[in-house]
Amino acid sequence: MSVRVQLPPMLRHAMGGERWLEAEGISVAAVLRDLGQKHPRLKLHFFDEQGAIRHNIVCVHGGSVVRAREMAAHHLHASDEIVLTNALAGG
Amino acid sequence: MGVAVIVGTAKGAAVLKSEDRQHWHMSFELRGWPVTASARDGTRTYVAVNSPNFGVALFASDEFSNWKQLGAAPRYRPEDRGNPEHHRLVAKMDFEGKLKGGGRFVDQIWTLHPAHGALYAGVSEAGLFVSSDHGESWEPVDGFNEQPGRETWAPGFGGLGLHTILTDAKNPERMWVGISAAGFFRTDDGGKTWTRKDNNVHGFGANCVHHVANDPSNASVLYRQEHFGVYRSEDSGDTWEVWEDGLPIAEMSDGHRCSFGFPLVHDRKSSATFVVPLDGDNFRFPRGGQLAVYRCTDGKSWQPLTAGLPSNCFAGVLRGSMAGDQMDPGGLYFGTTAGSIYASADLGESWREIASGLPRIMSVEAYVT
Repeated sequence: MSVRVQLPPMLRHAMGGERWLEAEGISVAAVLRDLGQKHPRLKLHFFDEQGAIRHNIVCVHGGSVVRAREMAAHHLHASDEIVLTNALAGG
Repeated sequence: MGVAVIVGTAKGAAVLKSEDRQHWHMSFELRGWPVTASARDGTRTYVAVNSPNFGVALFASDEFSNWKQLGAAPRYRPEDRGNPEHHRLVAKMDFEGKLKGGGRFVDQIWTLHPAHGALYAGVSEAGLFVSSDHGESWEPVDGFNEQPGRETWAPGFGGLGLHTILTDAKNPERMWVGISAAGFFRTDDGGKTWTRKDNNVHGFGANCVHHVANDPSNASVLYRQEHFGVYRSEDSGDTWEVWEDGLPIAEMSDGHRCSFGFPLVHDRKSSATFVVPLDGDNFRFPRGGQLAVYRCTDGKSWQPLTAGLPSNCFAGVLRGSMAGDQMDPGGLYFGTTAGSIYASADLGESWREIASGLPRIMSVEAYVT
């Protein structure tokens, strides 16, 4: 099942400026794993040394915010679009 | 010959280029990424980036632009256990305030050092990594990272970071590294075993080394800016002597009196050494606001150099934020936490602000092009 993923601006550096990527997966976590397998540079950014999704990565799907700990259980549908970003904090 | 200066800031890299060291052109690259270190090996330049959200990575370029991210970066093994105090200091927590416990993570590359056909990286949580394929893959130097006593290392204010790597051009088996605040270490067997080299250096049991420099072709002479003073060794670090004649002396937080600062640069052709004293560890800005570089040309006493430097500067200069271009005469470059870059093309006799308004400056390196 294919979805479209929008990368945050900083991670577009890793992909030569690409904004949107195609990925496979039935959950947000599965989509991140798929992208990490296809693009090792993104794997560095998505997953820490212990294989966990970096805790400040946030996904926006259908107007809802999906946090790292919710990504495995958050299911997607074919042709969905998700936006990857990071937790907003600071002044 | 020209010079390229890579200035790592909290929000990207300022790349300053000049053909005459007088007229500079600046571009701002890798926007958004904190840029913490750079190194040049042959024609290839590396920069290290890190983000609390997206981790650590390396970019490389042959022309100081069009940076390409490498497919690998230094990373600990999943089973490596971390230092709890370092975790607390670098805020290893999610945005709900939950501490992320247990594991050991690379949260910053503090220094990159090419030598003997390899590229070394010093990281926090403190560790040493090596790449033999131009950064495309990385291996931990287990002899250092897993050495006995690691569990007793204490972080400095900025965490437990390995920020200094020095090598000996004549002896590939010998290397030194500095960690804030675990001390200064030397190996004589290619990294298998390491010994602390902090004799005579004031500290609290451990040593908070801020920066050390040497000339790799005369590597046994070491120049050291410690939290508690400036020191010099002529025996590869076995013994150290206080080296502060002429430097401003400040009262430190423990009552000790010494010269406090972070960066130290050694110019190889002239054998001159440079430091930027700050008004002790309580204030950490230039005394009275007079930004000054101090130079030692005879191995004994220091003289202040202030021509062209501001008298109303209350910013700091971080440990990686000063560099020399090793041309003749030597050019020097340093950046402040307030985002100004100062340059000298005459071994520090005169200075000029060549960029301002940058984000907090975290690293400066200069390369002959």
